[in-house]
Amino acid sequence: MTVLAIEDLHVWFELPDGKELHAVQGIDLSLERGERLGLVGESGCGKTTAILAMMGLLPPTASAAGRILLDGEDILAGGDNTMRAHRWTDIAMVFQGAMNAFDPVKTIGSQIREPMQAAGLAKGKAARARTGELLELVGIAAERQDRYPHEFSGGMRQRAAIAMALACEPKVLLADEPTTALDVMVQAQILELLIRLTDELGLAMIMVTHDLPLVSQVCQRAAVMYAGRISEIGTTSELYHHPQHPYTRMLFRATPDLLAERDVISIPGSPPRLDQEIIGCPFRPRCDAAIDTCAIAYPPTRTAEPGHLSACFVEESA
Amino acid sequence: MRAGWSYVGRRALFALITIFIAISLNFVLFRLAPGDRTSALRCQGCTQEFKQQLRADFGLDKSVPEQYVIYLNQTVRGDFGRSFVTEQPVISELWQPIKNTLPMILLGTIISIMLGITTGVIAAWRRNTLADKGTVWGGLLFYSLPTQWLALMLILYLAGPLNLPTSDIADPYLAYSNAGAWAEFVDRLKHMILPAATIGLVLFGEYTLIVRSSMLEALGEDYILTARAKGLSNWEIITQHALRNSMLPIVTLVFLSLGFIFGGTILIETVFNYPGIGLQIYESVGNRDYPVLQGAFLLLTVVIILMNFLADLLYFKLDPRVTE
Repeated sequence: MTVLAIEDLHVWFELPDGKELHAVQGIDLSLERGERLGLVGESGCGKTTAILAMMGLLPPTASAAGRILLDGEDILAGGDNTMRAHRWTDIAMVFQGAMNAFDPVKTIGSQIREPMQAAGLAKGKAARARTGELLELVGIAAERQDRYPHEFSGGMRQRAAIAMALACEPKVLLADEPTTALDVMVQAQILELLIRLTDELGLAMIMVTHDLPLVSQVCQRAAVMYAGRISEIGTTSELYHHPQHPYTRMLFRATPDLLAERDVISIPGSPPRLDQEIIGCPFRPRCDAAIDTCAIAYPPTRTAEPGHLSACFVEESA
Repeated sequence: MRAGWSYVGRRALFALITIFIAISLNFVLFRLAPGDRTSALRCQGCTQEFKQQLRADFGLDKSVPEQYVIYLNQTVRGDFGRSFVTEQPVISELWQPIKNTLPMILLGTIISIMLGITTGVIAAWRRNTLADKGTVWGGLLFYSLPTQWLALMLILYLAGPLNLPTSDIADPYLAYSNAGAWAEFVDRLKHMILPAATIGLVLFGEYTLIVRSSMLEALGEDYILTARAKGLSNWEIITQHALRNSMLPIVTLVFLSLGFIFGGTILIETVFNYPGIGLQIYESVGNRDYPVLQGAFLLLTVVIILMNFLADLLYFKLDPRVTE
């Protein structure tokens, strides 16, 4: 059952000099109940912008177009008020670097209770009890809800942020680099927690990261974004074993493996600027397999396997 | 819980030590000046014996440490000597003006806090709009206007149309006419409103700029994005998170300016001929009434230190991160 479907999502930012930055250039995604999807790409490829658009949290200078279907209902069309009704109750979010995601002058518990009270789900003693349960769920003692954020370690704060995201029993969890700035041990614990919770609660999750190995550990499917578009999408094992897009292939080559059995080869150049129109494939200048056609038009989407799509003219021989 | 009392205790001790140093400096400064009260006396009857007698009366024949102990003792008991002009104890000379000034500066501060916070918050929320630009320019304008000039402008342009008195604290005829407590209260308020408005407008300029900038800072924080994501309304985001966090610098500022305003009413009270502590200081300077001046200055110092202390306490209450 599809919980969340994104159809042809575009986001533009208005720049101070009057130009427009086309940050997200038409992406399609769909998310099943209980599914974990990784959204991978270099910095500035539009992955964070895309998920902020799903929550309607873009800054006032941005405008979004397309369709965001939550259980079949287009929540983007109704403007901010429709979006607000679904925030946290249906789509919740764990932010990048939860260090600052909590208000420093309020207790952790009161901040977890806030969305329940705003949505009218629980208040008073019931809300307190529920907060305690949520904290226990992520491995924090219930009594600690009266503590302040600065009294928590980084890992605990990230756990608390996850507990907060679950406060209104959402259907979809958006996690924006949930483990950056945490040490490896804590990172592993947080990932395990996310896997366990999504399995137990049937929660669908989109995890944004630039860390490919992390995606293959956590997610069943992954979408690789480049220059505001999805260049390839498929199951994580398909992507790993049979990458169709040169960018995906080069991304894997640029990731070090533990035993250092192969050399790390970085991708030359940098992503294109999105404040001007790109003709042809945006990856062409950095691609090692580019052909003449790539300069003329954006590649059509090609199906390698059912559910495994890529946007490239060149057929990769796996 | 946080070790609250140790923080409060240490702040209180710090305030007391500062007050003690201020009191001691008050003693030392006057002793550092050459000569004493008797050396400047030039008159026919001022023989050496008379001067010696006078020194003994004033206790100036005792050693400096002895004088210091006596001075401390008297200060602690609230005895600042007598006014040269009225021969009344300094403490009673200062008490009435203080009672007149306090409500006036409180009213002014309340005006400025309410105006400053409202406009500052609106300006920050509607950044780069006309409302924001108007607030910044207005704030800068009032902040940089000379106080006495602003007071004069209020008298010129407001006192007439609004039929407000421009001098003194109460209508002297009202006391004889048995007008009743309410009429007297309204009369007091009418006398107070223009000087209070002057303070209010000057402080408003300062407050609105600070509120705006600290709100802008708070609104850019990650927890505001979290609050929006949690589906809170704009009102809840502003009051529960943004304003709550930007109150921290504002509280310190308000209390510090309260302390300084207490001494800074000299210009305002002189323009409005308002019999408060500022006017008292101004007149005492003219009369060379040193005991009253000395007492007034000591009082102002203590008020500023106390306000600092209160700001520390409130900051501790507002910010859970402040511990030791």
